[in-house]
Amino acid sequence: MALAAIVFGALALGLLVGGTTIAPAALAHALFHPRDGGDVGTIVWALRLPRIAIGAFVGAALAVSGFLLQGMLRNPLVDPFLTGVSAGAGAAIAIGVALGAASVALPAIGFVAGLATAFLVAALARRGSGLDAERLILAGVSLSALFSAIVALALTHLAAGNSAEVLAWLAGSLAGRGWTELAWTAPYLVVGFALAALVVPALGTLRAGNDVARALGVDLPRVQWLILAASTLLAAAAVTLSGIVGFVGLVVPHLARRLVGSDPRWALPASAALGSALVVVADAASRALFPPTEIPLGVLLAIVGVPAFLYLYLRPSGAARLWGT
Amino acid sequence: MGHLGARDLAVTVPSRTLLEGISLDLRPGEILAFVGPNGAGKTTLLRALGGVVRPARGSVLLDGIPLSTLEPTARARALTLLAGAPPPPGAMSVREVVALGRFPHRAWYDWRRRPDDATATETALSQVGLSDAADRPFESLSSGEAQRAWIALAVAQGVRVMLLDEPTSHLDVRYAHDVLALLRALARAGATVGVVLHDLAQAGAYADRVALLAQGRLVATGSPDDVLRPQSLRDAYGIDFEIVATRAGPRAYPAYL
Repeated sequence: MALAAIVFGALALGLLVGGTTIAPAALAHALFHPRDGGDVGTIVWALRLPRIAIGAFVGAALAVSGFLLQGMLRNPLVDPFLTGVSAGAGAAIAIGVALGAASVALPAIGFVAGLATAFLVAALARRGSGLDAERLILAGVSLSALFSAIVALALTHLAAGNSAEVLAWLAGSLAGRGWTELAWTAPYLVVGFALAALVVPALGTLRAGNDVARALGVDLPRVQWLILAASTLLAAAAVTLSGIVGFVGLVVPHLARRLVGSDPRWALPASAALGSALVVVADAASRALFPPTEIPLGVLLAIVGVPAFLYLYLRPSGAARLWGT
Repeated sequence: MGHLGARDLAVTVPSRTLLEGISLDLRPGEILAFVGPNGAGKTTLLRALGGVVRPARGSVLLDGIPLSTLEPTARARALTLLAGAPPPPGAMSVREVVALGRFPHRAWYDWRRRPDDATATETALSQVGLSDAADRPFESLSSGEAQRAWIALAVAQGVRVMLLDEPTSHLDVRYAHDVLALLRALARAGATVGVVLHDLAQAGAYADRVALLAQGRLVATGSPDDVLRPQSLRDAYGIDFEIVATRAGPRAYPAYL
């Protein structure tokens, strides 16, 4: 209930905040009478609603993706980009810009390259019929480093205008995204969330370790591949919609576990809800703080979020540990 | 129900043979202790019996059905393997850990909990004497309590066959007694228990039968008195043993001096 209220409040805030000030009453009117048209109607339906919808889905996708990988690898430092999704997408987009690809094609290029990178990482991490946690982390970290180097190389050789396009993407933003982009990624989001829901009971047993999970009849290889597929689809869809928005996928699962406990039946939906709320609020702040300039979403989340998170978790009173309650 | 048998079992890894020609039976109501020197293949045998390691030859039969033909959840409703002392799960209460035992009783994707899940969990907790500790963080348990909690998980799981790999090797004598007495009570109630033990005195005192392994082969199986003899132990371990009179009868002990 409290989580639903947080999400609802975040969505309302996201609707209210923007370059044009709209009175709540006019906003509500436009929201519930979509056929009335007018400037307010256009702003609400063509600009703000798609933007908060995308923000909510990006936040939920990143948080759930991170939650799944942290749970499978039992490693609190893992985030959705571990599998190389963002680095692979970034490298492909940088190369695409360098080769003069059209802007509209960039999200698709990034999506395909992100999935391909994750596939490569998974192939390297394979052992027997399942996955090896250490190999997955090593493969993900090293391929990410390789692709980041390619991005850096491209940036140093691109013309200023082109490098700005790549940089904007790397910094993460919801600016200029609309219903089209959301519709295009919706199938991947749906499949990703559905697979995530499917593995929740098995993820619960993984808290006790792989040996115990196996003794409980968990089909480990199947569950590992489902988790990897779900987290990759969600991360790739999020990266396609928003560029690289860090922090959410790493931190929100920790907050969710602290609030509702480590049982994924509660912690996974809580991660989705908190991730949505956080990204929508942060996006509203990125628009409202220094109008008409927008602070890139990923940058804002890191600048405000990281110190707050460090304070919460690492303060000397030791109220919490990274992994656990 | 709960009869586990190995038939001419062999386990190999690419470079060498770990187990060869193992045939033995674990019966309901009995504790069978696996003893033998390090590297003899006790853990490998237990993992093969638990369906974790796939044998190169031979088969493991659960009530006459090849274990390899069972679905993982069907296997987990009948048999479980507790590997040593698993690391304590963080951020979970004792009750939450024990309740994981109900996983194989639902479809693997099913989120729901039924009333009999809670009943089975509470019954298991009380059977191992941890009802009062149910709400404590699992990490706060002592080693001996944690071992009893893992056994409670197996009880909640409803298995007829319990395989345990060195459940007492890190426990002091009193907690070791606690755990072994609990296993004996479970066996007397009808469970089939197979347990790897390093302490020959524990094997002699608690096991109904003992299987002595050396170099991947079964050297002897039988009652503790028949198997734990100085000659066969010396052959297996490579050191001398002597007979010591105890209140429970003569026992073989290493002749350290």
